[in-house]
Amino acid sequence: MNTKRTNNVTLLVLFLVVTGLISAFLPQDFLSIRNLRNMGRQLPEYGLLALANMLAMITGGIDLSVVSITSLAGVVAATILSQYASIALPVGVTIVLAILAALAVAALCGAFNGILVAYAGVPAIIATLGTNGLFLGIAIILTKGHGIVGFPDSFGFIGNGNLLGVPVQFVVFIVVALLLGLLLNRTAQGFRMYMFGSNPLVARFSGVNNELVLIKTYVTSALLAGIAAIIIISSVNSVRPGYGVDYLLLSVLIAILGGTDPVGGFGTVLGVTLSIFVVQVLQSGLNILGFSPFVKKFTWGLLLLLIMVFHFYRARYQQRWIARRVVQVKEAEVPTPPG
Amino acid sequence: MKKLLAKNETYLLLVIVVFCAVITIVNPAFLTVENFFDLARNSSGTAILAIGFFVVLLSGGIDISFPAVAIVGQYIAVNSLIALGVDNLLLAFAISCTIGLAFGAVNAFFISVFKIPTLIVTLATANLFHGAMLEFVGTKAVNTGQLPNSFKSFGLFNLFDLHRADGSAYGLSVFFLVLVIVALVTWFVLRRTLLGRIIYAMGGNSEAVRRSGIRVTSVQFFIYCYVGLLAGIMGIMHVSLIRYSNPTYIVDSELLHVIAAVVLGGASIMGGSGTLTGTLLGVAMISILEKNLVLLGISSYYQQFFVGLVLVLGVSITHIQRRVRSRKQLAFVRD
Repeated sequence: MNTKRTNNVTLLVLFLVVTGLISAFLPQDFLSIRNLRNMGRQLPEYGLLALANMLAMITGGIDLSVVSITSLAGVVAATILSQYASIALPVGVTIVLAILAALAVAALCGAFNGILVAYAGVPAIIATLGTNGLFLGIAIILTKGHGIVGFPDSFGFIGNGNLLGVPVQFVVFIVVALLLGLLLNRTAQGFRMYMFGSNPLVARFSGVNNELVLIKTYVTSALLAGIAAIIIISSVNSVRPGYGVDYLLLSVLIAILGGTDPVGGFGTVLGVTLSIFVVQVLQSGLNILGFSPFVKKFTWGLLLLLIMVFHFYRARYQQRWIARRVVQVKEAEVPTPPG
Repeated sequence: MKKLLAKNETYLLLVIVVFCAVITIVNPAFLTVENFFDLARNSSGTAILAIGFFVVLLSGGIDISFPAVAIVGQYIAVNSLIALGVDNLLLAFAISCTIGLAFGAVNAFFISVFKIPTLIVTLATANLFHGAMLEFVGTKAVNTGQLPNSFKSFGLFNLFDLHRADGSAYGLSVFFLVLVIVALVTWFVLRRTLLGRIIYAMGGNSEAVRRSGIRVTSVQFFIYCYVGLLAGIMGIMHVSLIRYSNPTYIVDSELLHVIAAVVLGGASIMGGSGTLTGTLLGVAMISILEKNLVLLGISSYYQQFFVGLVLVLGVSITHIQRRVRSRKQLAFVRD
């Protein structure tokens, strides 16, 4: 558990240093209310997807279909929303209906992923690669490749409104992150997920229903993608299948940067949230400094490599330190020969 | 016969034959020499990438940086040729392959020295290489007019020509020859050399290989440099094929295609098992499916859906088979 905490401390220090540096150099631009709000608006879109991938990774899997689930759920919600004028229901009811439909479709997609991984025994990376094409394909078929526009005005509140001055989607993101933290640390499902990720065989012999744990994991992960879908279509006020393809690798990267072990058994909501913040602050900083979006790509790659190299040296140092301690203790315990 | 039935490749070939038969019945235009030559021309590049990815997968690793390497290689090669005013295809190949080898070495360095999981290293370097190129080299696409002539003539070069009824010619592209050479070299390395046996063994148990006194580091350098080299070759072929050098093209789509093809070909994502024949059949399957749905009268909107569906069905069947087999042997392995 020690390494878990130090990883988060590393990220926290990184976050503070990056934020401190950028604030020191660009106090007017970076610390302005407008910029902070912008950051709060952008961050949930890929942040939720990163959390979704973290969940899959804790069980030793990965979810490459998150962006496609976002597209499909978005298309379903948008189809209902764009018909609001012809549906004989109050606008509010239509919006709730659209959100529920999006979440239901997402949950179905997640259950499908889960069944493939749990019952067919397909490795998650391949299963979700396949469903990635499948779900996006369905979304494209539904829209015939066109976008859908024309939502009720009040729906825009989710993606463009503020609650007490804070962007709505940021509030949603924080609430979701807190709930996920509870799920992982305070429920049997969370405990079983870590257990399955560490050693599926031990989990099975401890009486855990591994298949059910996996299905629940992928459904939760897909629900996060569904929430991201609602936020995205509300803020851009339209839907186009394939929106946010770049978020796929970014979400995997953020999850790993946040200390999640892609082999399974390890990952915290706090770590991933911190890494989402680091990425967002860097992104805004580079934007304000006038760097092209390509520098960002370069920076993410570099950041990930540096963090991993840092972990390598830290682990090595810790091992040596422990080895030295063991030697010292042993030397102290050696009884002096009698006589 | 029994041996043949137990093979994944047999079933894949069967599926391909049935699929081709169905297309031919619906649309006889499919079963022409010209269409198959066209298929060979268009999918040779993908097949070369798939061979590289297959080698990495065999060794128990995964490399998702190869599309980025291919783009960077071809884009820098095209731009250097224009800047130098030299119109030489060999130089283009040399530049692109050197870049591929160098990037492969970077991957191998982080993988072997720092023991970082291969997925993480290549995810990071894919972003690093592509981002660096877009920032420091350029973002402008090179269109057909500006493209050096050697690329265009390479793309149009045929091994031999046949004639249609109206007298116009079509032929088997030189790309197919490149693919055959790459496939033969890879087959030889994997099946006829110690290095190849070590690569298979590493996928089975990398620790056992290390303890039997083999320098895993050098093998890893070979594997990742080889993938880089193949990506470099594919980059040049791709520019010559589409006669256009785009610095942002093929990043994600090609990655997913290649992984899908190799996995459909029966290679295990955990490493250690799979055959080159399977990989090539996988590429054939995906390419035929993708490029010929139109001949069945199915709208192109359905393309993505069908590729996904075939992948999901294909891998589900093979893994359910494996699972049933391990149940019978009472092996509680995680499959």
